[in-house]
Amino acid sequence: MMPAWLASDWTIPAGLDDFLWTYGHLINSLGINGLLALSMYVVLAVGQLSLGQAAFMGLGAYSSVLMTLTLKLPFYVVLPASCLVPVLFALAVGVPTLRLSGVYLAIATIGLGEVLRALYLNVDVFGGALGINGIPERAQTWMIFGMLILALLGLWLVGRSRIGRAMEAMREDATAAAVMGVNVPGYQLGALVASAVLAGIAGCLSAHQSSFIGPNEYGFEPAVTILSFALLGGIGTPVAPVVGAWILTLLPELLRGFSDLRLVFNGLIIVVAVLFLPHGLLGWRMRRRAA
Amino acid sequence: MNLLETCGLTRRYAGLVAVDHVDLVVPRGGIHAVIGPNGAGKTTLFNLISGLVVPSEGSIHLAGQDVTARPTHVRAALGIGRTFQNIRIFGEMSVLENVLTGAHARLRASLVSIALRLPGFRSEERQAVAAAREALALVGLSERAAQPASSLPYGDQRRLEIARAMAGQPLLLLLDEPAAGMNPAETTALAGLVRRIADAGTTVLLVEHDMGFVMSLSDHITVLNFGRKIFEGKPAAVRSEPAVVEAYLGARLAAKLRAAHA
Repeated sequence: MMPAWLASDWTIPAGLDDFLWTYGHLINSLGINGLLALSMYVVLAVGQLSLGQAAFMGLGAYSSVLMTLTLKLPFYVVLPASCLVPVLFALAVGVPTLRLSGVYLAIATIGLGEVLRALYLNVDVFGGALGINGIPERAQTWMIFGMLILALLGLWLVGRSRIGRAMEAMREDATAAAVMGVNVPGYQLGALVASAVLAGIAGCLSAHQSSFIGPNEYGFEPAVTILSFALLGGIGTPVAPVVGAWILTLLPELLRGFSDLRLVFNGLIIVVAVLFLPHGLLGWRMRRRAA
Repeated sequence: MNLLETCGLTRRYAGLVAVDHVDLVVPRGGIHAVIGPNGAGKTTLFNLISGLVVPSEGSIHLAGQDVTARPTHVRAALGIGRTFQNIRIFGEMSVLENVLTGAHARLRASLVSIALRLPGFRSEERQAVAAAREALALVGLSERAAQPASSLPYGDQRRLEIARAMAGQPLLLLLDEPAAGMNPAETTALAGLVRRIADAGTTVLLVEHDMGFVMSLSDHITVLNFGRKIFEGKPAAVRSEPAVVEAYLGARLAAKLRAAHA
């Protein structure tokens, strides 16, 4: 005999039901954008700039949708597997470019996003310009926020260790960090791979809660939006970019009338953040020792 | 066995040989200095030894092991620590965190152990903090441990760099102009510190312009000029060597000086 609260016909109170019906998608977006903000954070935290987070997200989305629809795999297999393809691409982009300094990674990742968009548009299996429809809505809100909390906790714990100190050291002065024994290229590649994992999982969750994916969801525009999450919140702690993502996710809802100006807002926020908030809204940084 | 041996070490830039076939031998223990006029190639030599600059020719051996092709972070793990001529502390980190970062190469906790806060990670971190506090005590910065490093006055930032390098427990400590910008009292204190480090068993190789500092501390001095080694020996021998005097003063002034003394 199943307890009442486990039974499938357990009903949500009417008021909450309405609330979830209206705002369920927005709540899920908060979780998914939080994950994307963390994927941006990991790269920025080692002093690199990637504009490929949307591309990694798209790889996670498309590969997971094909696993669900074509291979008929269950979601508990699809979700962890959704990071595989993004990681492969992160390695392919990261290995040659991370040896070079500065903007090469940023440029290469922009290129990656555009190449993939052309691929989704022109290869039949990805559905072309129409994208892929009828994706089963398997990503539950608890999964999305479960992944977000897991990612936050993991980044927080790793941040407060020799790895977190090494990352901050690299961000401040990569040469001095190397002299301290930090494997700078290794950490840079590791951060890019970790960010691809987070973005891939976010892409999978996002695709499996919206029933549709298309090639334009993962282009340059969303890449800049993801960057603005981290720029607004800051990168002093992993919490900061998530807060930035939540503000930028809620803001368009509050300013519904100005939805045409959404990109203008994002651009403005990047400019203001860079000029006046070099450490983001949440400027405090975590202490890098555990004992 | 010698701690550090460079053989025919050369670094060419377009139109310039910064370091020209330098054979440098640093035996274990003691304080060794590299001196020479500005542009003699001293900092390039340090950058070659610590792996920040790739040699055009020649080899570098540390404790008998060929490290010529090893990247900087591997050399750090093998025991080469250094400070910089232009201070390169991590300004936003606290003083203690700077020193903890210096111990990076010695810490072994795995990602899993860190993420799950396993006992191995906890005890390693505790030991690292204790060792970092010891390093801070050595340079006299214990009271400043919690401050942001950028808030330290200049002389303290130099000493923090030394503490950070010592946290890695290097076999060989490279000090690039440690006394630069220091007043006489600070320089005397620094000399005492370098002596204590050497006495505790770390081999020190330093580049310095303050001749009083170099002559009073060094067991052995190597003189570079235009990238070439022109002399090496005990401080007293260096002082009286005509080639060295000439490198610093120019041939004419050196001849005049000799005539005046004769």
